[in-house]
Order: sequence, then structure tokens, then C-alpha cells
Amino acid sequence: MTDTVYHKFVKRWEEITDIPPQTVGPLTPYYKRTVKRLKVMPWPMLVMSSLLIVSGLYVFFGSTITLLVSVLQRGF
Amino acid sequence: MGNRLLVSGISFGRNCIGIVTRPYETYRRIVEHGSLLELAYIGVVLTMYFVVASIVKTSLLWPFLLTRQFIVLTSATALTFLFVVALFRIAGNLVGAKGTLRGLALGWGYSLLPTLAWFWMTSLLYIFLPPPRTTSSQGVAFSIVYLLVSATLLFWKVILSYLALRFSLRLDLGKIILVCAMVFPVLGFYTLLMYRLGIFRVPFI
Repeated sequence: MTDTVYHKFVKRWEEITDIPPQTVGPLTPYYKRTVKRLKVMPWPMLVMSSLLIVSGLYVFFGSTITLLVSVLQRGF
Repeated sequence: MGNRLLVSGISFGRNCIGIVTRPYETYRRIVEHGSLLELAYIGVVLTMYFVVASIVKTSLLWPFLLTRQFIVLTSATALTFLFVVALFRIAGNLVGAKGTLRGLALGWGYSLLPTLAWFWMTSLLYIFLPPPRTTSSQGVAFSIVYLLVSATLLFWKVILSYLALRFSLRLDLGKIILVCAMVFPVLGFYTLLMYRLGIFRVPFI
């Protein structure tokens, strides 16, 4: 029983350490902090980022964004 | 064969939930342990959409035109999928990628689900709230919500595509950016070609 658990653990460990961790130089701590929120249930962060972008678009283009949506709606 | 199909079906369902709630862990599992049969399930889900899209696009219930539209959409998507996987594999090889083609195909296959979600949303809205949008307050409010959902799905797609390349080609962020820099211009031309042929205005990638 213990052997099976140990083998499973070793297999999982090898799977996880197969790819070296990602580093981005001095920005690594910020990268890790951001990525941590994207690994499990990323939706709050995705919606917040989208909200920022769409607000930006609305501030810059105003009601002209309706034109972009009209084009996109015919995009399928 | 029946058992394998059933197991793949269960894995497919589990992975569909996983890529929503725990994309990182799920993608690792998909690439390491996924079966190519799961691609068949993705194909079925896509085919169901293309049936509806053919009706919406053709606007006529004439069997010849519907069948033609359906065949065009399905073949174009299958061809695009193979083309994109091959492109990423070739570009990956140029930067010293390891990993398997099976993993890449599965990873990229699952990344088509956000695309499918966007196309479903757009097609259904085209039926219930057809364009053009006006600049009235309702039109602007709708546009904001539509863009919000579209951007969220796009970010989800970006995350899944990144994970597909990271796990299936065993690349780091720098090399993934390099691979994308090589692949995106080609995809740009491909998208233009699809647009000129009148198949997809927004590419099904």
C-alpha cells in the first residue's frame, strides 16, 4: 500500500518537475504572483482584464464601439 | 473499442470542466495522458456548431446550399487545425522543442473550445439580436457586454494556447514568443485567404 502511494508520488513528482520553472529575470516574483491567479479559476482575473480593456476602448472611441461590434457580429 | 470510446468520453467531459476551473493542471494531464480519441469528441462538438452555422449563414433551407456550406466550414476548420498544428511543430523544432505531436494536437484541439464558445455566442446573437448596433444607450450597453465577453474568451484562449505550447513542446516563455512571432504572420496570410474565399471572416483558429 505504502509502496503504491510512494510510486504514485514519485511519478507525479517527475511529471511536475519535467519542465523547468519559468523565470523572467527581475520580474519573476511579479510573474509568479500573476500566474498563480491564472492556474486555478482564472475567471475573476480574466473578467477584470477584459473590463479594463473594454473601458479603455469606450473612453477612447465612445459610442463608435458599436461599429466594431456590428463588424464582429458578422464575423462567424 | 467501445470501452476506449467511453473512457475518452469521460476524460473529455472531465477535461472540459478542468480547462474552465483548473486550466494549468488539466492541460498537463491532457498533454501527458490524453487520448487521440478525445479529438473525435471535439470534432463532434464542432460539427454540431457547423450544422447550426450553416443554417444561419445560408439563411435558406435549401439542402444543396446547406450541405455545401456545412462541408466548406468543416473542411476549412479541419484543414486549419492540421495547418496550425504543423506550423507550431515546425516552428517549435526550429527553436529546439521536444515533446510529441500527439500532445500538441490534443492541446491545440482543446484550445478550440473557447473559439467555439465565441462562435456559438456570435451566431446565436446574430439570430436574436442581428447587427447593426445603433449608438443608442441600449446599443452601447449591448456592445460593452459583447466586447467584455469576447475579450474574456480571447484571454482564455490565449492561456490555453500558451499551455498547449508550454506542455506539448516543452518551451519556455521566451521560446513561445519566438514561435508565435514565426507562426502569426503565416496565420495572418491564411486568415486573409479564408476571408477572400468567403469561408470565415474571423478565423476559426
